[in-house]
Amino acid sequence: MTKEYSTTVNLYQDLPDGGELELLIKDLAPGRKKYNAKMVRAKVASSREKLPDGDTLWLRSMVGNKLAKPWAIKILKILEDDTMPGAPYSDMFQKT
Amino acid sequence: MAFNGIREFINALEKTGDVVHVKKEVDWDLEAGAISRRNYEMGGPALLFEKVKDYPEGYRLFNGSLGTFRRVAISLGLSPDADVREIYRVFEEREQSPVKPIIIYGKKAECKENIVLGDDVDLNEFPAPMIHDGDQGRYFGTWDVVVSHDPEKNWTNWGMYRFMIHNEKMLTGYPTPHSHLGMILMNQFVPKNKPMPIAIVIGTDPLCNMVATAGYGIGRNEVDYAGALRQKPVELVKCETSDLLVPAHSEIVIEGEILPNRTALEGPFGEYPGYRTEGAKAGTLCKVNAITFRSNPILTMIALGVPVDDASLAAAITAGISMKRRLLLHGLPITDVYVPPEGVTHMIVVGVRQGGIDMVRKIGEVLTARRAWANKIVVVNDDVDVFDMGQVIHAMASKWHPGRGTIIQTLASPKANTLTPGYSMEERRNAKGAAAFIDCTWPLDWPEEHIPVKSSFKEIYPKEIQEKVTASWGTYGL
Repeated sequence: MTKEYSTTVNLYQDLPDGGELELLIKDLAPGRKKYNAKMVRAKVASSREKLPDGDTLWLRSMVGNKLAKPWAIKILKILEDDTMPGAPYSDMFQKT
Repeated sequence: MAFNGIREFINALEKTGDVVHVKKEVDWDLEAGAISRRNYEMGGPALLFEKVKDYPEGYRLFNGSLGTFRRVAISLGLSPDADVREIYRVFEEREQSPVKPIIIYGKKAECKENIVLGDDVDLNEFPAPMIHDGDQGRYFGTWDVVVSHDPEKNWTNWGMYRFMIHNEKMLTGYPTPHSHLGMILMNQFVPKNKPMPIAIVIGTDPLCNMVATAGYGIGRNEVDYAGALRQKPVELVKCETSDLLVPAHSEIVIEGEILPNRTALEGPFGEYPGYRTEGAKAGTLCKVNAITFRSNPILTMIALGVPVDDASLAAAITAGISMKRRLLLHGLPITDVYVPPEGVTHMIVVGVRQGGIDMVRKIGEVLTARRAWANKIVVVNDDVDVFDMGQVIHAMASKWHPGRGTIIQTLASPKANTLTPGYSMEERRNAKGAAAFIDCTWPLDWPEEHIPVKSSFKEIYPKEIQEKVTASWGTYGL
């Protein structure tokens, strides 16, 4: 059974289809730990067909809207630190 | 009467029929939020969810502490039917006499019934709700009091700021950069690369939450004003891992420190203007060092959204009175200020004894001088009851000249409200925008002979006719 995750992107087109990157995701497994954050190195693709051994990745926009069709994600490594360097309020996004 | 904590307040709501106990199990994941939101939109009572999925018996959620003027009146010890004008008057009057808190120790502090420290901390042990679909996470702190201390000015700030679970031991939050907490953080801690201690207090006397929404100004301790409103000192107890003092009868206290050099994603969240507005961003990251809590804790929440809810009501009162105070300090001839809850602190109504466009400009400038939470400022003459939105709309419709009676003020960064949905994403990100000052008063240069006469019973009939009609009212078969 595939697992489900979500991630937030500035613009959907920012996510590289078929690319590998570090990404903050939310684990959507039911239970008390649902929505806890994880920083991962992962491969992502715009469909399960493109990443057959991947899990489901729901994309949320900056204001929280969910893209109707999910992407796929293959987690390669869960990184130890799920925080980012920088002072509070320094923006994570390259552009708005 | 003063309430020692949220349980006593819930008991008071019980007596007036203003709370419903939801016995059926509800899911913390959207269901409790959806019920609460729909309940606000139906003008319903406060809700105590007694059984929460995934959590032990006794762990409860409470939504809607001050979601109606009735519940605000009860929190102040007034009759539940007290008029909004009476609530404003009592609030304003009591605020004049701040009451210092007292410190208590040991077992009398109910928030110390359970103490979890360091490695044992797990925020997932509490039923923090996922309030809206699309929120970035589970918001532990929504209807809260966040305590912080300014070491330079030796001043303790209470504010209401949202904080969500990032992982078992960390929260991310959004006290805005120009909130009091944000300013203390950015001026005193980040430049020295020092973590900033905070305490997030959940489930306390709702008047403590009320003052946390207020802007009393730098150097003024909100706890003294909570004491003023309660007419009794707030009992405080020292935190386990810092010197901060927190209300002793709270349900849950999260002790932590905001890291000066690390961040994590925070937001979006369905906020008080009634929209999920400002987008995901690098939030303030709080490492949790301890959680203390009462047995069978009640986690207070607010399913924020379109008005009216606790936030729009609390701000209606605290912001209205604080703006009136500021305007009077500037010597302006203000009669009253009303922040209609439906205006979500964006629209305010100011009554003046003497109007005119120059007066409107002065009022607007005072209210947008530092931070411009409100960006639609409507000024009316004192014949208009500012608390009666029917009269206000009539004044706007009839007296406001869109050409010469509108002043558009550009708000340079970082003055503007980052949560204003009508601003572009670029404006929201940079806290810039614009405000409109709307003049619904008669121009001062009009000769008296040209000023239109209001066609109301009180204004268009001679006094003797008014008295005759009033005295004879029953004889007309009315």
